[in-house]
Amino acid sequence: MFTIFEELITMNPMIEIKDVSFAYTQAKNVLQNINLEIKKGEWITILGHNGSGKSTLSKLLIGLLKAKTGTITVDGTELNENTVYDIRKKIGIVFQNPDNQFVGVTVRDDIAFGLENLQVEREEMIERIDTYAKRVGMFDFLNKEPQQLSGGQKQRVAIAGILAMNTDVIIFDEATAMLDPKGRRNIIGYMRELNKEGVTIITITHDMKEALESDRIVVLKDGEILKVDKSENILKDKHTLEQSNLELLLPIELMHYLEEEKIDNPMLKEFLWQSSLKE
Amino acid sequence: MAIQFERVGYQYTGIDERGYMALSDVSLKIDKTGEFITLIGETGSGKTTLAKHMNALFLPSEGRMSIFGLKLSKDTKKNKKVKLNPIRQKVGLVFQFPEYQLFEETVLKDIIFGPKNFGVKHEAAVRKAEEIIEVVGLDKSYLERSPFNLSGGEKKRVSIAGILAMEPDILVFDEPTSGLDPLGRRALLKVFYDIHERLDKTVIIITHDMDTVYEYAKRVLVMREGVLVYDGAPEQLFSRKNIENWNLETPEILKIVKGLEEKLSITLKDTPRSREKLLEALKEVA
Repeated sequence: MFTIFEELITMNPMIEIKDVSFAYTQAKNVLQNINLEIKKGEWITILGHNGSGKSTLSKLLIGLLKAKTGTITVDGTELNENTVYDIRKKIGIVFQNPDNQFVGVTVRDDIAFGLENLQVEREEMIERIDTYAKRVGMFDFLNKEPQQLSGGQKQRVAIAGILAMNTDVIIFDEATAMLDPKGRRNIIGYMRELNKEGVTIITITHDMKEALESDRIVVLKDGEILKVDKSENILKDKHTLEQSNLELLLPIELMHYLEEEKIDNPMLKEFLWQSSLKE
Repeated sequence: MAIQFERVGYQYTGIDERGYMALSDVSLKIDKTGEFITLIGETGSGKTTLAKHMNALFLPSEGRMSIFGLKLSKDTKKNKKVKLNPIRQKVGLVFQFPEYQLFEETVLKDIIFGPKNFGVKHEAAVRKAEEIIEVVGLDKSYLERSPFNLSGGEKKRVSIAGILAMEPDILVFDEPTSGLDPLGRRALLKVFYDIHERLDKTVIIITHDMDTVYEYAKRVLVMREGVLVYDGAPEQLFSRKNIENWNLETPEILKIVKGLEEKLSITLKDTPRSREKLLEALKEVA
C-alpha cells in the first residue's frame, strides 16, 4: 500500500493547466482552451510565433494575469486571489529584458528584493545572496549599480535573485534572447544544473538549440496548443514548426532536404544527424 | 567618407568610482553608400556606445570624429554654434525595442512625426509614408491602424519606417531582430537588405547572431572591451582560430561546411553563406 501511495505523490504534476482561456479584450481569446500537465522535475519548452500566447501563458502561471476560464493548479494548490502569493514562492520567472526587471539600487539590493518579500532572516539573507551571486559569477559586482552592468550581467543578477528564493519551478521567458553567445550558453548551463537538482524548468524561446535541451516541447499557434511531444520528435517535425513561424535546426533541415530530393547517402545522413545533437 | 573615427575614446563616469573607458583608441571610416556592416562583440564590449557616436548622441572624450563633414571632439559640447540636429537626420539610429517608442493613434501619424519635426510639410510627409510602408514590407492599409494592435514584428517595421521617412543616408540598428520568431527575423533582415540594395544606403546592424553576420555582412566590426579588434570581411574573420576569445561563435552554416570537409572530405563549390545556397550546394555533391 505504501509504495502505491508514494507513487501517487510522485505522479502528482507540478503544474496542471485545465481548459484555460484568456483574453485581454472581449473580442478575441489570446489563449484558447489550454490543457497541459507539467511533471515535477520536468524541463519543458514552449515554442511559438510572436503573438502566439507564450508570454501570456507564463504570466498566467505566476498569477500576473487571471484566466478567463479554466484552472491552474501548482503543486496541488489551485491558483486564485488567496493563493497567488504562496504560489509565487514556488514559481520564479526570469524575463527577456534585463533592464525591465532590475529593481535594486545595487546588485546586492536586487538579489535581496525577493528575499525581503519572503521575510527571510538577515543572516540567512546575506548567506543566500553571497552563495547565489557566486554561483552566477557576480560576487565581485555586489556593490555595483545596474548601469555599470552589461545586459548579460543584469540577466545573471536576475537569475541569482530567483535562485535565492529556492523556488520549485523557474520560468525563463525568452531570457536568453538578448544575450551574446557566451551569455546564452551560460544561462543554458544554469538551466541544466538546476534541472539536475530537481527544479522544474519552463523555457519560452525561439532558439531551437535551447529547445533541444528540454524533455518535452509545446508548440503554440494563435493561442492554441498545436502539438505537445518529446523534444526530439518536435525538432524533426518540419510541418508543425513551420506552421508556427519556426525553423528547423540546420542539420535537420538538410536531412529533410536530402529526403525530399531522394538522395540516399548514409554517410552524409549520419554526419548531419551527429551535427544536430546537443553540443 | 561619411563617418570617420580618429583614435576615439569614450569615458563613462560612475558615481562610486572614476569611471571606465567604454571605447579606447577606435579608428574607422564608413562610406555614405554601399556598405552592409555588422557590428558584433560580447555584451558590454562597447557596440552600442560606438553606435551612439555615429549620430553624435555621444561625443568623444578622446580623439576626433567627423560626421558628414562636421568635426566633433570633446570640445564640441562647449561650442554652442555646432548644430547636431542635421547629423541626426543623416544618420538614423534605431534603438533596441523601437516598438516601445510608438505612441501615436495611427501608424501614419507615427511615421510622419519625425519628418514633420524636421520641417517637412504634412502632404509631403504623408506621401513619403505611403511609399516607405511598402519598403518595410507592410501594405498601405496599415497606415490607418493603431500601432498598438500590431504584432511585435509589425511594430518593429513601423518604427523602422518612421526612421526611414526622415531619409537618412546611413541607418544603424541596435539588435533589431532580438525577440522575433525565426520567420519574423528572416523577413526583417530582408527589409534591411532591400534598404541597402534598393535605396542604396549604408546599413549597420548590431547583432549577436553569427548566421546573420555570415549571410549578410560585407564587412564586420568586432568590439572587445572597448577596442575595435577586427575590421574586415566575414570570411577571414571566421577562418581565424581565436574567435572564441572574442566571444564569437562559428555560424551554423560554416560548421556544416567545415564538418563536411573535415569528416567526409567533401568540399562544397562557392562556400555557401545562406541556407538556400547550402541546400543547392549539397545537392550537387550528394
